[in-house]
Amino acid sequence: MVRAWADSLIKAFYIAKKDAKVYYFKAPNFTYGLLIPVSLYLAFSMAGEISSKLIVAGLTSLVMLFGTTSIEAVAVVLEKQTGTFERLLAAPISLFTIVLGKALAGFFFGLILAAVVLFPLAAVSGTVVMNPLLAVIAIAFTSMAFSALGIIASAYAKWVPEAQMLSNFLRFPMVFLSGTFTALEALPSQLQVVARFLPLTYSVEALRSSIAEPAVTYPYILDIVALALFTIVLLALSTKILEKRIA
Amino acid sequence: MLSRIWSVNCVRNEHEMEIAIAVYDLTKQYGKILAVDNISFTVNQGEVFGFLGPNGAGKTTTIRMLTGQTRPTSGTVTVAEYDVVRESIKAKERVGVVPEVSNVYDEMSAWDNLVFAAQLYRVAKNEREKRAKELLELFGLYERRADRAGNFSKGMKRRLTIAAALIHKPGILFLDEPTSGLDVQSSRMIRNLTKDLNKNGVTVFLTTHYIEEADQLCQRVAMINQGKIVAVDNPEKLKASVEKHQIIEVSFDQTQNLERKLADLKYSNKVTQVGDKFRLHVRNTSEAVPLIIDFARENGLKIVSINTLNPSLEDAFVEMTGLSPEVMATEKEQGKKAASLG
Repeated sequence: MVRAWADSLIKAFYIAKKDAKVYYFKAPNFTYGLLIPVSLYLAFSMAGEISSKLIVAGLTSLVMLFGTTSIEAVAVVLEKQTGTFERLLAAPISLFTIVLGKALAGFFFGLILAAVVLFPLAAVSGTVVMNPLLAVIAIAFTSMAFSALGIIASAYAKWVPEAQMLSNFLRFPMVFLSGTFTALEALPSQLQVVARFLPLTYSVEALRSSIAEPAVTYPYILDIVALALFTIVLLALSTKILEKRIA
Repeated sequence: MLSRIWSVNCVRNEHEMEIAIAVYDLTKQYGKILAVDNISFTVNQGEVFGFLGPNGAGKTTTIRMLTGQTRPTSGTVTVAEYDVVRESIKAKERVGVVPEVSNVYDEMSAWDNLVFAAQLYRVAKNEREKRAKELLELFGLYERRADRAGNFSKGMKRRLTIAAALIHKPGILFLDEPTSGLDVQSSRMIRNLTKDLNKNGVTVFLTTHYIEEADQLCQRVAMINQGKIVAVDNPEKLKASVEKHQIIEVSFDQTQNLERKLADLKYSNKVTQVGDKFRLHVRNTSEAVPLIIDFARENGLKIVSINTLNPSLEDAFVEMTGLSPEVMATEKEQGKKAASLG
């Protein structure tokens, strides 16, 4: 059993490594992954005053959200379009391992984008990250949850534009409902309830907590647990959707 | 280079032949469409088994079920002793799959494509590099190993796809239309390779719409039409089953307006012109040949050649399915055009 799991993990890692080689430098990953979140933030920061702490946590989460979901949309749908997905299906790998491998590719991409954004932005804006380790943990859990979210869209779609459209359908409402640009408490109470069903909410909160607090707090732990639960549920759901799609 | 042993676990049938693939009551339904309708057959270890049928007959759906890429609606498939649904990973470890459309990663080099394929089968690192080198050399791609597969010709991509399917030394190889749309040289190379692999013990499951190809390569063939198997046997036995018509192929020193005149000959059921030759379908060749000689004399023609032809696998296919062999070729071309437009 343990050996089978280890075998699956190794194969998932090979798929992620291959995806990194093949898909990391596709144009949509940069346009959607970096340009859109940066543009959104610039637009909002020009419209009103946003504290540097909010900017650093919010922008890092947004870049990860757009970056990981973009690469997942390309990685799964493009493979289905070009027929290379059949190579994976014919190989001795479970569908869950394929989904996990795809998610890992997005996960590593999210880590790279976060590293590119968080620490330089913190340095430029004069924001001190009180606990860098907690920030890294929050980034890791965020990246995995968003990757799993990206796979849902691309598991469902038949073409890259369809996957991008579905991703946008999930991404943009989240941006405005998850307290990215403002404190969550500033939203109407009904929307605060909706925000609790969105992974971006927990990502932003966990990052803000690691920037503001030197020690682990109870809300931070809850945020990490929520992100882990999102990851598990979304990966299982993606596997089920793909299973139905290829049946 | 192919003398290495490709080993495969097998069970034995009632004739003590080892069975590589066993299919029982296999059915696949997509909504209201019955793609594969309750088919059963076995493939013996070490044979080249052909799967013939027109586009939409259920060939690719069958191959997808046999290779664990899609679940059957009902029925069972056993590959190398393993149930493809319940023991999918173990069954897949023992087979190589070459789909109809070459599925290499265009962005990766030929070498990286093979290494990735080996990684999915957990081939050990030193072994995977050795195998990748051997296969690239075998397929004439070693000099281009560092080039992106996207820059390869269709034939080269096909060869790379087959190489990737062989990287883990499978005992059973599934080839879906391996030579479709390829140049003569690549087609010949793939056919020769199929024969060589088979000589080395690899069981080959081949789907093709080139009936001649199946006749040359396969020890047994199954004919499928509208999801149902209409015949499974040796090509020669299938040909013998349609021997009620015999064919005389004759060539004269001129061809103009002869088809209609030949059709009026006694004993001639049907006449077709093939290039500069005429094929007369007759009941009895010994009665028909003297008539043809008389016909030539009366019309001032010289006979260049005259031969009797045995029924071909194509004739057997037409007889069994009621379809013309051109249907398969035409449908394939239409499918390709639609895909390229899409």
